[in-house]
Amino acid sequence: MGKRIILGAVAILLVIAAAYAAFYVAPEERTMGLIQRIFYFHVGSAWAGLLAFFVCFIGNLMYVWKREPKYDWLGVGGAEVGLVFTTVVLITGPIWAHPVWGIWWTWDARLTSTFVLWLLYVSYLLLRTLVEEPGRRALLSALFGIFAFIDVPLVFGAIRWWRTQHPSPVIMGGPGSGLDPTMRKVLFFSGLAMCVLMAFLIAERYMLEKMRSEVDILRREAEAQ
Amino acid sequence: MKNLDSVFAAYLIGWGVFFLFYVSIAKRTADLRDEVERLKNSLQRAK
Amino acid sequence: MSLLSNTAILLGKELRTEFRSRELLTTTAVFILIVLVLFSFAINPGTEEARQFAPGLLWLAILFASSLMFQSCFLREQSNDTLSALRLAVSDPFAIFLAKLIANTLFLLLTELLMLPFFAVFYNIPLWSKLPVLILVLFVGSLGISIAGTAISAISAQARMRELLLPLLLLPLLTPVLVVSSLVTGSLLDREPIVQWKGIEFLAVFDLIFLTALWLFGEYLLEE
Repeated sequence: MGKRIILGAVAILLVIAAAYAAFYVAPEERTMGLIQRIFYFHVGSAWAGLLAFFVCFIGNLMYVWKREPKYDWLGVGGAEVGLVFTTVVLITGPIWAHPVWGIWWTWDARLTSTFVLWLLYVSYLLLRTLVEEPGRRALLSALFGIFAFIDVPLVFGAIRWWRTQHPSPVIMGGPGSGLDPTMRKVLFFSGLAMCVLMAFLIAERYMLEKMRSEVDILRREAEAQ
Repeated sequence: MKNLDSVFAAYLIGWGVFFLFYVSIAKRTADLRDEVERLKNSLQRAK
Repeated sequence: MSLLSNTAILLGKELRTEFRSRELLTTTAVFILIVLVLFSFAINPGTEEARQFAPGLLWLAILFASSLMFQSCFLREQSNDTLSALRLAVSDPFAIFLAKLIANTLFLLLTELLMLPFFAVFYNIPLWSKLPVLILVLFVGSLGISIAGTAISAISAQARMRELLLPLLLLPLLTPVLVVSSLVTGSLLDREPIVQWKGIEFLAVFDLIFLTALWLFGEYLLEE
């Protein structure tokens, strides 16, 4: 319990520090001005989201191998938290795009891939609601989670290739579009802050799931009497 | 400063999403904790 | 090799079962036709823009049709619990998947080939000269759809709302296939046709990756 509170406190401090850095340490971008500062929040969240889905993937693999419920808890924690961060990416993207391009959505490669990623893990969670028995639910969602995660690089690759054939406005500049060194440091710091926040949220979600399974066991004991 | 409200909106909504998620977990955890207490008490009484 | 002979036997069973009634083939073919016709009401076929949309619409129709076709894949093994019988009959459970996915690929390819003439006529696209490469693209794409579809069918058969769940799980997974297949088919059927070998290779890689995953994890999909 104490460890989680410390993790939470560190997460909040880092997030506030990263926001400060995004506004006061990072230099202003030449063409876009102030709106570009969303970049640090947006990209940081994207990295944290992907890492959360990777945690889910590891949980899935471990569950299929060891069949211990705690890996299922890790899986659902990673998936939900990843979904939260991915939602933030999908919201901040259009908020950035609108002042700059005048449109909300440009079917930009990374944002489109992120949307498919979002759909994949929404399906993961929906699958879980449709299987009642906990053991079967854990196994089936772990297996789908594995298929979903190995699909991720294929989704990003396919959509990126699609976009080279039919170019469109790129949100937040293409990869390697020349990042100023200070900007790069602020970006990594933002990423770090988001990842610590992610770790904290996964820990909390894990404990919730653990408690839920305890309640299930107690409930069954109570009914048996 | 142009676009200041957009930047604010982005950060506010973003933090809002994280905050709501955390609050929802905290609430559900608290509810479950009460449920655990309730169940443990009723099991004790039944014994 | 035991796996190959088991697969061959099971494949024979799958093909015989289907060709006895041909219900899956006919209903899927008619469904693709219906979707193609409905698309025509949404866009205006025969114009130059429609010609650009046509390859994407074809693959969309194939995807929708496949999410119906794969419903019965593992559901039909639930009545009379034939799945247990299958599992006991083979030493390697992967044979069951291999047989089903090969059968599914064949069925899908067959319905696509049946649909091609209609597609060519509705959208005014000459296909004949590019037929070999087109069939190759249809094959690599359909193989990917079948591999993923067979795996997801095994999952959704064990859940509630399986008719809705199967497309829900399958379609996001198949986004790479839809994107790349449409692109390659589009380039192929263009006024100045180009064969995008990079795309075909990508589809082959997709197939290989998912086949490997199914090989590694398939047995857990069939657990009691």
